[in-house]
Amino acid sequence: MQESVLSLSHVVKQYGDFTAVNDISLNIPKGSIYGFLGPNGAGKTTTIRMILDIIKPTRGEITILGHSSALDVRTRTGYLPEEKGLYKKMKVWAIIQYFAMLKGMEKKAAKQRAWTLLEKYGLKDFAEAKVETLSKGMGQKVQVLSAVAHAPELVILDEPFSGLDPVNQGVLEELIRDMAAAGQTVIFSTHVMQHAERLCDQILLIAKGRKIFDGSIAQAKATIPRRILIETNSDISSLRDIDGIREILRLAANPVTGNAGQLWQLQIQQQVNPQLILKTCFDKGIALSRFEFTEPSLHDVFVHLVGDDTREHAAR
Amino acid sequence: MNMIRLIAWREFMENVRTKGFWVGILLFPVMLIGVVFLQTTLSRATPTRYYLLIDQSGQYEQAVATAIEREHQRRLLQEFVNYLLENRKEVNFEQTPVNTTSAVDTLIEDVDADEVAALDQWLDAGGLNFALTMASPYLRENAPAFTPPAYQFVEAPLPAAVNRDGTPTEIVEALRPYLTGAQQVSVNGRSGDLFALILIPENVDEFIARPGPVPTTGSVSAGIQYWARNLTDSRLPDAIAASINSEIRNSEYIKLGINAEQVRTVQRTRLPVRQLDPSAAVGEEAVSMADTFRQYAPMGFVYLMFVSLMQSVQYLLSNTIEEKSNRIIEVLLASVTAGELMMGKLLGIGLSGLTTIAVWLLSFYLFINFYQSAQTELIGEIVAVILGSELIPWFVFYYFAGYALYSGVFLAIGSLCNTLKEAQALMMPMILIQVVPIAMMAFVVLDPNNTIVRILSWFPLFTPYLMMNRAAADPPMIDVVGTTIVLVLSIVLVLWLSGKVFRLGVLRTGQPPRLLELLQLLRSKT
Repeated sequence: MQESVLSLSHVVKQYGDFTAVNDISLNIPKGSIYGFLGPNGAGKTTTIRMILDIIKPTRGEITILGHSSALDVRTRTGYLPEEKGLYKKMKVWAIIQYFAMLKGMEKKAAKQRAWTLLEKYGLKDFAEAKVETLSKGMGQKVQVLSAVAHAPELVILDEPFSGLDPVNQGVLEELIRDMAAAGQTVIFSTHVMQHAERLCDQILLIAKGRKIFDGSIAQAKATIPRRILIETNSDISSLRDIDGIREILRLAANPVTGNAGQLWQLQIQQQVNPQLILKTCFDKGIALSRFEFTEPSLHDVFVHLVGDDTREHAAR
Repeated sequence: MNMIRLIAWREFMENVRTKGFWVGILLFPVMLIGVVFLQTTLSRATPTRYYLLIDQSGQYEQAVATAIEREHQRRLLQEFVNYLLENRKEVNFEQTPVNTTSAVDTLIEDVDADEVAALDQWLDAGGLNFALTMASPYLRENAPAFTPPAYQFVEAPLPAAVNRDGTPTEIVEALRPYLTGAQQVSVNGRSGDLFALILIPENVDEFIARPGPVPTTGSVSAGIQYWARNLTDSRLPDAIAASINSEIRNSEYIKLGINAEQVRTVQRTRLPVRQLDPSAAVGEEAVSMADTFRQYAPMGFVYLMFVSLMQSVQYLLSNTIEEKSNRIIEVLLASVTAGELMMGKLLGIGLSGLTTIAVWLLSFYLFINFYQSAQTELIGEIVAVILGSELIPWFVFYYFAGYALYSGVFLAIGSLCNTLKEAQALMMPMILIQVVPIAMMAFVVLDPNNTIVRILSWFPLFTPYLMMNRAAADPPMIDVVGTTIVLVLSIVLVLWLSGKVFRLGVLRTGQPPRLLELLQLLRSKT
């Protein structure tokens, strides 16, 4: 088994009667990129704060880098909080240096590191500027850099992508990949599934404080049936006899473009070959105007697992 | 420790780098110096005042002229004493009436002890000319020449339209436009407002008041009439009353066959009252000017402490709230412990406060040394006396104690609030508490071991101010030791509690907690 950087065991956090985090257990291997996914108010930030020992769990155990409190290993962790802010009057390079020094770096090395990072991630021209003169997105990039400047073994980023434009989101993804490639473990939370899908080796999905799923992206996708979308005016009842089709859903027509025929969604089992279904359609004389087989996205998984009230009713 | 130093240094630099910090620091000495100059300039700038004297009785014109001359001489004497204080050689504030050797010191002492007697002596001896000769050996070299003040009260001629022999009512009616400022009098080609009218009716002697039953002359026109719009400058009516009364008494003496000269001599006889300090060493009991400075110096220290502490806690509060409102605090707490953060802040802001005091003292020192003038030299001497006194260690102790106590409280407040506005509501009671000892400052100097003051000194939030205030008066040992113990214990308690509030408060969002919630917070663990 891979070396574990962080493990949570039955962690609970209660505020009075309200349970913010309910019995979460997980294990994060070294060098992985790990996503905390969940809707707003799911308990992501509370979990992160407990991991960093900023707040104490009501129950449960947390082991971080082999210690029971993050404070014991605080020079080896890096943290970007959800709400972003920096000292407005400080210069960009100085603030990165300051936070790196708070994490135990030497003054000179910290300064050098600040300039290297600023150059590498396209902020060199702003190094001497005061933080208050930066745009929101740029300030956020500076904050990310100040959180990781001391090359921590474990980096925890709370909603690092929010507020960034697509170009800078790309820069940040690159930074995260760079860190993982250097053997650092990165945990980030988000409610935007695309980032998680592109970056994460593993994800934790939580909602209302409960763990819904914990595992790799592939495992997550396996939790929902694969889908085939077909469009036809023919009778499709004959498809129901095929082994491996779990469910057939009638979808509403696209309200903007309209549809030539009725849209159906076929949910198929993991091992079924879509070719077989296409062949059956031909054999049964179903006139297709569309046949689409797509892997489910993480977004589908999220909607499926967390629950979506707008889901269509079953066709049969 | 490293982390505390790092945080302290950042806090310090953040304050020191702002313009507001330096403006605030430099404003104080500039204001202080400005006030000193403004006062001297204003006292010299009082305009010439024109008065009009109509004496229908024909008896008192000379007495009024004497009164005005005497008032002028009194001012001359005052100015001359100030001139001596500023320009004599080797100022020795340890001088007391007992060890006085020079004639100059005797003159200064006499004026201080009994101005009226000293003025008589001054006039008898020959006034300013005599005084200048007498003082010249005691003046330092390159002392500027004494410029006597101009006459402040000048008689104006009667306007042509006014009849000197009319009834008092007619005269007043005719002069009313002048007295109200609607018309101006012209004296030697210069015109100005008429400051006062002194009207002595023909029958004035009927109203002389003698001991016995109170006379029933309620009329406003009874006696000498002094008409003036300015009710605050009472020098002229006072001088006139004194002079005319002495004239009346003179004529009474003559009527009764008493030798007026002898009476005046008797009146000038006096026995000095020497101020002695029972706690001083034998032979040094006499109270000198330096002793008086030392007695009042605590007020200066209390004020300095108040201004500096208010500034420091202000910074502490706004920096904490900044970190809280933009959530930097979370990053900090993932890097250092709440205790380290708190100590770093206290040290950093404390350092800013000390910088303030250092800059004040330095600017004061530079001002005294590089702006050579009579006033600054005097101030310099006073500062030297104060710095040489035993008050400095007291100040250092109470400054740090006061800082630890108040900053602990304010840090806790800052950690509970998200905006300065919220903090201001919580700060108000703390500021009001500090106003109490500040308001009592002058009273405490006069009566330092008063029972109320002694009791209030035991209240830790007052202790630094009140005990500093009382420091020069040798407070009872029980007060010194007892209040110090209570103070130190409260500092420990406040810092411990505010550390707890700080840990819990900094991550709170939303409204500051109510008192009950706060108590619950404090009871809960971590």
